[in-house]
Amino acid sequence: MTFRQLTEEHLDALREISNVGMGNAATALSQMVDETIDLRVPKVSLADISDVPDLMGGADMVVVGVTLQIRGDATGTVLLVFPEESALRLARRLLGRPQSAPALDEMGISTLKEVGNILASSYLGAMGSLLNLTLLPSIPLLAHDMAGAVIDYLLIELSESGNQALVIETEFHGRSPQERVISGHFFLMPDPASLEVLTGAIGAVQ
Amino acid sequence: MSERTRVGISEYRVAPAPAHLVTYGLGSCLGITLYDESVAIGGLAHTLLPYPREGMDLTRPAKFVDAAIRLMLTDLLQLGCSQERLVAKMFGGANMFEGLQNPNREGIGQRNIRSARETLTELAIPLVAEDVGGNFGRTVEFDVANGGVLIRCVRDEQRERHF
Repeated sequence: MTFRQLTEEHLDALREISNVGMGNAATALSQMVDETIDLRVPKVSLADISDVPDLMGGADMVVVGVTLQIRGDATGTVLLVFPEESALRLARRLLGRPQSAPALDEMGISTLKEVGNILASSYLGAMGSLLNLTLLPSIPLLAHDMAGAVIDYLLIELSESGNQALVIETEFHGRSPQERVISGHFFLMPDPASLEVLTGAIGAVQ
Repeated sequence: MSERTRVGISEYRVAPAPAHLVTYGLGSCLGITLYDESVAIGGLAHTLLPYPREGMDLTRPAKFVDAAIRLMLTDLLQLGCSQERLVAKMFGGANMFEGLQNPNREGIGQRNIRSARETLTELAIPLVAEDVGGNFGRTVEFDVANGGVLIRCVRDEQRERHF
């Protein structure tokens, strides 16, 4: 099965899961920094994974990618991608001290990995509880490089499954309206066999 | 300023001088150039996987290292290159997320590199330069006028290298 075969009902369910999951992630992040952080999901869509570098502004745009494997009743990959500017701003806000481009220091790297962990855990937790599945994230890995280079392993993983990914656009808003929005993209790519597990579970709860 | 042609993922392009063939952000993907200096015609491929496996989508054959080299070769011979005079260079094949790959298994970047070596050996095309492996991305700019390749990196200390 491929993402192309998903129905509008499946996508609606995935949108609902995305909103609940990101809501939980916002709560977790806010507690982490003791400041209200609002996470909005302006768009949930399917994308051809080879178009992903263009979503980032081009294959040579520098981004920070955090990836985790999904384990449990379904398997797959989660990738969170931030434009470099947004990644540095997010690290700065969470750490309360500057991160100077182009290098992220060790604390910055750990912080962004932890953000990836929180987002993936919250998302998978929401998905698991709504669909009665056990879904667990692996430890997060980070790469800070050109968008094309950061995502090409996903293209390789997906070359057997129709090259499509669920894309959840994510915006981090702080309490102060003057603060610029930090934007990121959250990609969910179930393995082909696991996509059937997910659609089956969506069908079972609807 | 000569023409710059962008080569996307799973694509290849061949062109005579004064073309510049460019591909951006190779991670574990492998970029391969073939060049015949005597006629100043060359090709660049941006490949993803070593070779097809059962059940894979074969609509874009240049996705595969082996097929991309052979397709480029056919096109270059048609443009007047000689197989005996062709030389190859390869770039990329990195492992971007350390720890992602099972240490007991060869990573995809390594397998792409090995596939390119095997295909080039089989076709008797000498590999004259390479910059492969590591954990950083590379952009390839191939100047068909002289066969030179400029590699740009954002993470490595040495940001620009000539091959």
